[in-house]
Parts: sequence; C-alpha cells; structure tokens
Amino acid sequence: MVSITFIQPDGAAQTVQATLGDSVMQTALNNNIEGIFAECGGAMMCATCHCYIDDKWAEKTGDKSDGEDDMLDCAETEVTDASRLTCQIKVTDALDGLVVRLPSELA
Amino acid sequence: MSKHHLGRGGDDGGNKVMLDIPVNETVTLADLTHDPYPIYKQMRAQTPVVRVAQTNRIFVTTAEHTKWIKENPDIFSSDDPMTPMKPAFQAHTLMRKDGAEHRAERMAMQPSFSPKVIRSDWAALYEKIVNEYVSRLPRGETVDLFSELCGPVAARILAHMLGLEDATDEEMQRWSQRLIDGAGNFGRDPQLFEASDAANVEMNALFEKIAQRHQSEPNNSAFSVMLRAKNPIPLSQMYANIKIAIGGGINEPRDALATIVYGLLTNPDQLEEVKRQEAWMDAFEEGIRWVAPIQVSGRRTTQEIQIGDVVVPKAETVMTIQASANRDEAIFDDGESFNVFREKHPHQSFGSGPHHCAGAQIARRTLGHIMLPLLFDRFPNMQLRNPEDVVWSGFGFRGPLNLPIYLD
Repeated sequence: MVSITFIQPDGAAQTVQATLGDSVMQTALNNNIEGIFAECGGAMMCATCHCYIDDKWAEKTGDKSDGEDDMLDCAETEVTDASRLTCQIKVTDALDGLVVRLPSELA
Repeated sequence: MSKHHLGRGGDDGGNKVMLDIPVNETVTLADLTHDPYPIYKQMRAQTPVVRVAQTNRIFVTTAEHTKWIKENPDIFSSDDPMTPMKPAFQAHTLMRKDGAEHRAERMAMQPSFSPKVIRSDWAALYEKIVNEYVSRLPRGETVDLFSELCGPVAARILAHMLGLEDATDEEMQRWSQRLIDGAGNFGRDPQLFEASDAANVEMNALFEKIAQRHQSEPNNSAFSVMLRAKNPIPLSQMYANIKIAIGGGINEPRDALATIVYGLLTNPDQLEEVKRQEAWMDAFEEGIRWVAPIQVSGRRTTQEIQIGDVVVPKAETVMTIQASANRDEAIFDDGESFNVFREKHPHQSFGSGPHHCAGAQIARRTLGHIMLPLLFDRFPNMQLRNPEDVVWSGFGFRGPLNLPIYLD
C-alpha cells in the first residue's frame, strides 16, 4: 500500500492508503475526499478532479497526458503550473507519501 | 476488467451460474413514453438487465451498471453503424465516435463551454438575455412557461454560444426538434428524414453565410473557435458538431428548467427553503436527477460481456437508462420524489466517461446561477394551479410538454 495525503484549501489534511494501479482520482473517490468530483469517471473529459502537485513530487508523478493541458483549461478552479488532473496520475510505489493539494472554488 | 460489475452484492467466485438474458415481451415504447418510472422500478428489482422485445434492445437500469458501461468505452462503444443519427445529421457525429477521434472533435469546441469563457463572455450576456425574456412575460394571466420562456431562452443562449446569433429562436427550436426526431427515427419513417434534411439545408446555408465573419471578427463562440484552431477539424465535422449542439443544447436546458419549476411549485415548503438558503444549485441538481432530460444512452458491445448475472453477446445494443440509475434504491432514498434537501449523491444525468456532457458547467451556471433566482425573484407568487394539467412525455428525452403558470 501507498499512502497519499490530500490537503484541503483550508489546510485540513487527510492521509489515506492507495492501491497500486489505481489513479489518484480513484483513491480520492474511494475515500470520499472532498473537492474531487470526478464527474466523467476518469475519462479526462471534465476537469472536476483537478489538484495541485508540488514541485518536489512533480518528477515522480510524471508528465501530463496528451490533452491534459487542454482539459485543465476547462477547470472551474484556478489553474497554476502545479495543476494536474488526478485521473491522470497512477499510483506507484514511488508515490508513497505523495501530497495532493486541492483547489478552492472560485466565486 | 474490474470485477465490481459481476452482480451486485453477489459473490464473484467461480460457481456463479450465468443466466440467459431475460426477455420482457410486454413493455411497449408507448408505455415508456407515457411513464417509464414504475417500469424501471420493477426492472431494477427483478430484471436489472433485460431485453425489451418490442425495442429489441437490452435495458440496463441500475446505477452501478449504467456508470460502469459508460466508463468502459472499449467494451461498450458509442459507434453504432445503424444509428438514425447518421441520416438525421447527414454525418457521423462525435456522439457516435470513440477514442482519439472523438476527443479531437470534442476538444475543438470545448473552449467555448469552459468556465473561463463562461465567466469572461457568457455570464453577463446570459444575464441580460434571461432578464429580457423574463421581463417580457405578461402578468395577471396564465402563461405556458414551457413555450413562452423555457424553449426560447434556451434557444437564444445556445445561439450565442455557438456563434449563430443570426438564427431566430423559432429557427433554432425547429432545427433542434427536427434533428432530434430524425435521430430517434428508429422506424425509418421517410417523412422525418425529409424534415431533418430540410433543416440541414437551412443550417448549412446559415453556416456558409457566417463562416467568413467568424474568421474576420473572432469571438469565443464554438463556430469561431473551431474555425480559428491551429489544426482545425474538417469543415464538414464543424458543421456536424454544431448540429449536435443544436440538437442537444436546447431541449435539455428547456426541459430541465420546466422540470425544476414544476418540482418547486408542487413542493412549496421546499421552494420556501430554497429561497431562504438560496439553494438554487441544489434545486437544479435535484430537478435533473428526478427527471433526467436525456433519459437513455445507447452503447454497442464490442465483445461478449457479463453484466450483473447475465452474459450479453457481442454486437448488441445496450441502453443505459440514467433515468433509472438516478432513482436507484441502492443510492437514493425515495428517489421517486423530488426532494432538493435529500442526502447528496452524484446523479448520472450528465452521463459519465468520454461522452460526459460537454455543457454540464454551462447548464449549471445558466440555470442554477442565473435563471432560477431571477425568475423566482421576479415572480415570487407564481402559481401552478392545476399540476394535473401538465403533460409529461418521453422515453429518450423527457420533460413536461406544457407548464401553465399563473403570473401575477
């Protein structure tokens, strides 16, 4: 098992155990993480599983998928250089301890 | 594939006996069009995967299965070579494509529907349109809100989003209806295709007329964005996909609005609480959960596949019934009732998987943020005096056909 910590915009943190091979999105859904809606179920068609991955993890989470930037452009929440779609990050051993920050809703 | 679909709550062990697909000989399309909900309730309880003989299609009615099917396009393809959508739209549209081809076409339009563009371009314009259409409603009489407001405002909003503001509300609604009638023409009635052909001629003429302007005076409308893309998709596909948006972008917000207004006016306690909490977005989500504007989506099996307790052969059409999934007892308590303040669970009215509704965010903004609060603010005492006069209809698409409201 791999542990992943989700941090809400207000700082509240929740550490959960993830299954290898699942996506980070799936891990969030399995643990009812607030802020990950995943409306399209992981098809990279909705940008409702948007998160931020800090620099120190970015190498391990790998490059964005083809088309991920275009879909991120359609996110409801603020997009930064750290933005990723959790459906496109696969849980591997290298991600043990991963920190995933969640975006605030824009007004 | 994951094993979670192998029968709900059943064991996934090797001893499971696979059943033949049960057949329902009695249910007709007319029954489903009139009121499908008691039929789906019974199917969920007794035959959650069932061949409906009179439509020769397999109905899948539980939330778990419908979601799983839509999220597994390799097994359940959208590509249906026999679809009447092809003659109706005179093209193979993105609704019936899979994979990279579908994504390329969809992403060509997507920027127009993005929250960023909604904020920068559409929100202020839509507020103005909604204001104008609500302001022109008469007072002191009973008005059919369905035909006087829900349809026209949906048409105007969509016209702008697509870059077709030259078209009238009447034209937009007529084209939309003819495309829908053609797309649902499983009986291959030539008259319906003649009507959709005529609509195609009119739409093509408009597109040709305005294409140059969208190049020289660019804006964030779908047509303009597609024309100016770095690697534009073929013009024929731009036309086809604008038509998809016309066919699919009017009746859904129209029917959703009528359904939500009906739900609130027939549940005055909830309406009061919605006003007090300004819970318009919750009212929106509950309305489309309760009666999904698009009730059913078809997929074609690419291989033999087990769904629940039955094995479905390759090349069968399965109908995922999101209308039923949205009332599934496994997820929703008393799902048959309209209850804005129910425990929150995701509904499937926008679908799931690659074909998840491209207009979901714009629909939420337009109806939840703009239309509902404005309408109930202007007409705080509007009355649906005879709810029994409202006629509900539809199997593929469903909503009220009229909404006689007394406006004071």
